[in-house]
Amino acid sequence: MDRNQLKKWFQNPVKMAHKYSLHVVYFCTGCGIIEIPPSITARWDAERFGIIPVATPRQASLFIIAGYVSLKTLRSIIRTYEQMPEPKFTVSLGSCPINGGMYHDSYNTIKHLEKYIPVDGMIAGCMPRPEAIFVGVTHLWTLIDKDMADGYKRYRSNYSAYRANQEKILGKLEWPPLFPIHGEE
Amino acid sequence: MFDNITIRMDKKNQLELSITKDGIMSVLSFLKNKGYDHLHVISCVDWIDDKQLELVYILSAYMKQDVPGETEQLNILLKTRIGRDDPKYITSIALFPAAEPYEREIHEMFGVDFQGHPRLTPLLLERDYDIPPFRKDFDTKQYVDNVFGSVPSVEGEDDS
Repeated sequence: MDRNQLKKWFQNPVKMAHKYSLHVVYFCTGCGIIEIPPSITARWDAERFGIIPVATPRQASLFIIAGYVSLKTLRSIIRTYEQMPEPKFTVSLGSCPINGGMYHDSYNTIKHLEKYIPVDGMIAGCMPRPEAIFVGVTHLWTLIDKDMADGYKRYRSNYSAYRANQEKILGKLEWPPLFPIHGEE
Repeated sequence: MFDNITIRMDKKNQLELSITKDGIMSVLSFLKNKGYDHLHVISCVDWIDDKQLELVYILSAYMKQDVPGETEQLNILLKTRIGRDDPKYITSIALFPAAEPYEREIHEMFGVDFQGHPRLTPLLLERDYDIPPFRKDFDTKQYVDNVFGSVPSVEGEDDS
């Protein structure tokens, strides 16, 4: 093992454990689902990187959103994201969650995912190849190392603004707020 | 028996029938009794210049053996036009139960009110739209700019 790595393990074992055992819940719409099975099975074996798919969001620490996000899926994405325990990281896959992609003028597809939930990393492409997922994940390791993957902290501190944006698009949400909402920001 | 019916057969396996809107139920039940008992889809076309909406019922026999003497599958396109302003029509669920989701979809995408339909609740969409989104006068770019463009950026507020 690299000596620098060993030093990091002694300095902050919790962070290293988070970093090397990312349990993933996938949210796949449309073409996004095509890229996930090769990346988690033998060809590109994601478990080399400690990435393992889990059954429910309550066991997950990484949320990969692959493909376009329509209004109905946005509702499910918010519910999934709020059920995940902290620390949680979000990576979006493809150009559709970044700015709408080829659905830039669609009446039912949201354009900027980061306005509704915090996104730590965005992998561009239409669709990105499985290698790009691993480049994105190794980049996420660097961000976790430097404490820059702080989406869940930003969600906590800016929750009122996020919730206002979600309600602006989806109407009244039927579940209670995750964090207390301040009257004015 | 049927008035004002136009018959075209441009392709080999495709019969096109255009009827006035009063006659379509009798033609549907006639075709169903003749063995064309499979409703593929109901679709809708917005003819904005004619101020009309066109409903297209696509029928065929579920198996070609159902129709005596038929050697190849025949698709029947049944077309009718209704007024575009405040469009109303009657449901065909009594004849074809499979029409239910198609009529719901046309109701929310084109705003056609199918009278007699048991539940015209939203099927696919989440929001209310002033103009149903599949109509030709629905400006998607303007709608996107108004609705999605007006959502403020959370991180931008955080940085400044």
